Amino acid sequence: MNKKILVCIVGIITIIGIVAVILGGNEVKRSPDELVVAVGTHGGEPETGFDPILGWNYYGEPLIQSTLFKRDNQMNLNNDLATDYTINTDGLTYQVTIRDDVKFSDNSSLTAKDVAFTYNKLKEVGTSDMDLNSMNSSKAINDSVIEFKLNNPDSTFINKLCYIGIVPETKYNNQTYGKEPIGSGPYKLVQWDKGQQAIFKLNDNYYNKKPEFKKLTMIFLKDDAAFASAKKGEVDIAEVPLSFTKEEVNNMTMTILHSIDTRGISLPYIPDNGTKTSEGHPLGNNVTSDIAIRKALNYGISRQALIDGPLNGHGLKSFDGVPSTLPWYNPDATVEDGKIDEAKQILEDGGWKAGSDGIREKNGLKASFELYYPSNDQDRQTLAVSVSEEAKKLGVEIKPVGKSWDDIENFKNSQTVLWGFGGVDPTVISKLYSSKLIGHIYDNPSGYNNSRVDNYIQSAINNLDINKSYDDWRKVSWDGSAGISPKGDAVWLWLVAMDYSYFVDNSLNISIETVTLQPHGGDIFGNIYDWKRLRQS
Amino acid sequence: MSFDKERFKSPYSFLFGSMNLRTKTLLIISLVGLILFAIVVNSLFINVDNITTNFSIKNSQPSLQHPFGTDWMGRDMFIRTMKGLGLSVIIGAMASILSTMIAIFLALSSTLGKYFDHCVSGVTNLFLSIPHILLIILISISLGGGIIGVVVGVSLTHWIPLTRVLRAEIKQINTSTYVKLSKNFGRTKWWIAKNHLLPLLIPQIVLGTILIFPHAIMHEASVTFLGFGLSPHEPAIGIILSESMKYLSNGAWWLAFFPGLSLLIIVLLFDLIGDNLQRLLDPTQANE
Repeated sequence: MNKKILVCIVGIITIIGIVAVILGGNEVKRSPDELVVAVGTHGGEPETGFDPILGWNYYGEPLIQSTLFKRDNQMNLNNDLATDYTINTDGLTYQVTIRDDVKFSDNSSLTAKDVAFTYNKLKEVGTSDMDLNSMNSSKAINDSVIEFKLNNPDSTFINKLCYIGIVPETKYNNQTYGKEPIGSGPYKLVQWDKGQQAIFKLNDNYYNKKPEFKKLTMIFLKDDAAFASAKKGEVDIAEVPLSFTKEEVNNMTMTILHSIDTRGISLPYIPDNGTKTSEGHPLGNNVTSDIAIRKALNYGISRQALIDGPLNGHGLKSFDGVPSTLPWYNPDATVEDGKIDEAKQILEDGGWKAGSDGIREKNGLKASFELYYPSNDQDRQTLAVSVSEEAKKLGVEIKPVGKSWDDIENFKNSQTVLWGFGGVDPTVISKLYSSKLIGHIYDNPSGYNNSRVDNYIQSAINNLDINKSYDDWRKVSWDGSAGISPKGDAVWLWLVAMDYSYFVDNSLNISIETVTLQPHGGDIFGNIYDWKRLRQS
Repeated sequence: MSFDKERFKSPYSFLFGSMNLRTKTLLIISLVGLILFAIVVNSLFINVDNITTNFSIKNSQPSLQHPFGTDWMGRDMFIRTMKGLGLSVIIGAMASILSTMIAIFLALSSTLGKYFDHCVSGVTNLFLSIPHILLIILISISLGGGIIGVVVGVSLTHWIPLTRVLRAEIKQINTSTYVKLSKNFGRTKWWIAKNHLLPLLIPQIVLGTILIFPHAIMHEASVTFLGFGLSPHEPAIGIILSESMKYLSNGAWWLAFFPGLSLLIIVLLFDLIGDNLQRLLDPTQANE
């Protein structure tokens, strides 16, 4: 017993000690052209190394490698490695011309062969994050021209050319490349202490405008640990959860950036007939397959209350998962929400009558289902709890369940799940609603099946000009009489486009005007070329 | 003698000075028992759904309305802690009872013959050689997590010390003359177990059950602290503590302090019952 007391006392003292250290804080001097960041939540440590073929930063800035094209925050397509491109009239052949003056960080030249190799290899390896299904093969016509052959026309293919960092064909080894990457990007990796930090140095061979910072250190700290390091003055940028935005840190300013990373809840669209998906997971839910439930939730839940409460007042309402910064945003898909009385009326009309315990019932079936969220994501936890409380006002019981993604897999098609989606590529829409993709990994989790929407998706993909295809993508949300948005089938309960919150050192200007769109899985480094250290005189 | 008296003097003598030790001990046991019972009953009446969020008062300091403060979602920490403690005690109770049953079963079966005895000591050693917490995590994951996983995991790992005590005790009793006499009279093993062994083992069993409690509660807290078993929004003491770690850098000390202190008190209360029971049941101390 005495030993136990001793252990407890030691424990308490340790905790006090940790707090004292955290609150203590001391300044660490850095030279002006050095940058230390702790942005572990978005842009954290890559599990598979810095290897684009295994998944390194498709949606963020790859830093070490460079891509053929880049998109700026106005969604304009800008050349990077590429200088020009042409698409055949049948939409099946893309020819891209690249610069001939580009060298990898090991001084070997980057040629069309390397590009073709990267795309073929990625197709062969096939990660779940990057879908190259529409590409048949790529080959180098000469040193500076690459030809991509497609299986079928795909207007979104041009976006795939924005994501994938080019690796050198002759130096690529899938065992070691992730640890010792060679690329043509603005930085090269000099040191990677797994679980702790990665240190980058400027790549002298970089062909474009070089960033001002000669050395970039990423410390892999998240959330409260990142906040603690900011308080200690150890970092220039620290990404913290939204619940920390009201905190104050010496010499740092809270910077909130809109993202296109959207949170939404998939509502299984078909009843549970005992069918299973091709992956063997149960499909369908008897409660959410009733459109009255889906509509009532979409109209009754106040998204603004979710933003004001759990998200500390940051974020933008979302009704169809497409943030307003994207060109295929459809303003007609929005509705007025937080209408509890209307939502109750929808439920009454749908046959859901108030039960004795406050939960509505229809033919003996309770309006009750589970809402799964990843247990390590605090923002989603508080969103899930709040949605459940909001739904209770309508008489719908939503039971939040926090699990690991491995466990959520089993329930993703039969219960509701709080997802994060959102990309600068409209392919996301086809993945979310195309009936062809039901039950495929994280695609179309609600099992939505509507030929009208399928047709819009197909027509958008078949369009040769991606800018003209946006109109069809818009119609997926709402075409005037149908769609996936609350006005139509209300397939999802989309909630909010997240804001990301960073503490940024006052001596650093991260050029808010050119910050690139941050999709789900993106990072803050998109405009690192424009970041400046303000000289203090 | 005066030294011995000092040693066995109850630390609470200032409260019950005029009573004799037996009465005092019984009183302490029943009082503490009542407190624990009250915690459990209280927690059963707390409906988790009613611990709602209130973001306007999030991270507020302890006050009269919220004696333990509120957390990052503005939920009252006093109610959450009470619910968590109730869960801990319930899990502790289930684990203790299950563990005791396993221990009795194994100890008695070790008397059935040499082969059984080897088996029992083998299993005991096997379980002793694996760290508790690892075993609990493995078992609770393989059962799919949740409260059931935690209960079964904790119960299946806490029978070892009691089994060893009981087995040694049985071995000792079996060598006594009256047991040998009974054997010679032709009594069955079952009759001997029922009439000679069990009455002498009961004090050990009761004590063992009580002393498993604090261990089980601590382990339940550890497992939930590590994030196995329950969802992170559910009030279990380990989850509350692990969540509080994230807000220590904000200066929200109350999130860790009060739940931690409550857990400590609960564990100490069980220890108190155990110590006093020992005083009653252990012949060397009972006559003090």
